[in-house]
Amino acid sequence: MSAGQAVFSGWMGIADKAAYEETCRRAEEAAIAGLVSQYAGTLYRVAYSVLRNAADAEDAVQEAFVRVLRHRETLAEVRDQRVWLIRIVWNVVLDRKRRMKTRPETDDVAELARVLPVGGLSAEERVAAAQHHAHVLGCVEQLPAKEREVLMLSAFEELTSVEIASVLGISESSVRSRLFRARNLMAGLLDHTRSLR
Amino acid sequence: MKTEIRDQRTGIRDQGTGNRTSDPSEFDETLRMIARLSAPEGLEERVQAGLRAAALTELPKAGILRWRVALSMDNNWMRAAAAAAIVAVVVGGGWGISSRFQPAPPSSAVAVPLRGAGQTGQAGFSSAGAMRTPQTLNGPVVVAPATAHPVTTPQAQTKAAANAHAKTHARQVKPVQTNNPVAPTTR
Repeated sequence: MSAGQAVFSGWMGIADKAAYEETCRRAEEAAIAGLVSQYAGTLYRVAYSVLRNAADAEDAVQEAFVRVLRHRETLAEVRDQRVWLIRIVWNVVLDRKRRMKTRPETDDVAELARVLPVGGLSAEERVAAAQHHAHVLGCVEQLPAKEREVLMLSAFEELTSVEIASVLGISESSVRSRLFRARNLMAGLLDHTRSLR
Repeated sequence: MKTEIRDQRTGIRDQGTGNRTSDPSEFDETLRMIARLSAPEGLEERVQAGLRAAALTELPKAGILRWRVALSMDNNWMRAAAAAAIVAVVVGGGWGISSRFQPAPPSSAVAVPLRGAGQTGQAGFSSAGAMRTPQTLNGPVVVAPATAHPVTTPQAQTKAAANAHAKTHARQVKPVQTNNPVAPTTR
């Protein structure tokens, strides 16, 4: 093989490798697009349950998928993509919540009144329901962090206790015990506030 | 029905709440309501657009790859043109350099040795007409066999004695000197 042929074949080799990388990149982008269309709603609900603000929740979902994009090389190694994504968005949400100031209950009332399903309720009933929900969420905020996280994730019907354990990085028995404590604490808090009224 | 399924999956009801008076469904309802909220319209499109923007801004390495890939994607003629352009640039650059840096012209002054210094004897040393002959290999030398102790046989002794006598006799009988230059002489 002459030197010219060697140079030309080397050039072709570089080009073929670049084309292969481009193919891989497109495949990864297509996989991420599929994840967005499949799990964006779930991630949004998880984010909203903690942040209780539509714009913040959407930003959190966006940030979670950007993190996925950065670590797209590991996408093929993920066993359960749904739980993996929920774990990512959960960490994003907790980071944001730590940086945010505590939300006043009036903000929750306004936001809940906006997002509550109408369901034939009158305006007064909707405001009352929003106040009730805001009060419950205020009690949830008073729970210890570990119990609060388990209680909020347990509200998602698509998550089993095993999956909650995977998201939080704890054992299933810890999930059950924390859930038990959270429910007892919530009942006590609601009784206490009711007795004050 | 949905609540019963949840009981089997998460055990949320199994744990019980002891003798609390509050109904657990009181706060479960709120949490589930939030958990069931539908995503806003156009969320997926906005996330996709955000990802495309993030890929361009936050991953500059991908941009470089994209340039290289765009050059090489299914365009053999473009590859050949790029290779030709590289060759042209290299050759052109070499020619430009060689054309600007020409070798220096030969100088007009040439060092010449003094003419006739050796012949006139005015300066320097003369060779005195000596010629240098290159060293060559010596030819084969035939060495005569050396006879340090000659053999003395009776016949040889007799012959040697006769020769010696003849020489002695020849020296004693000298020829008469004549003035004739053509007369034969004997030694």
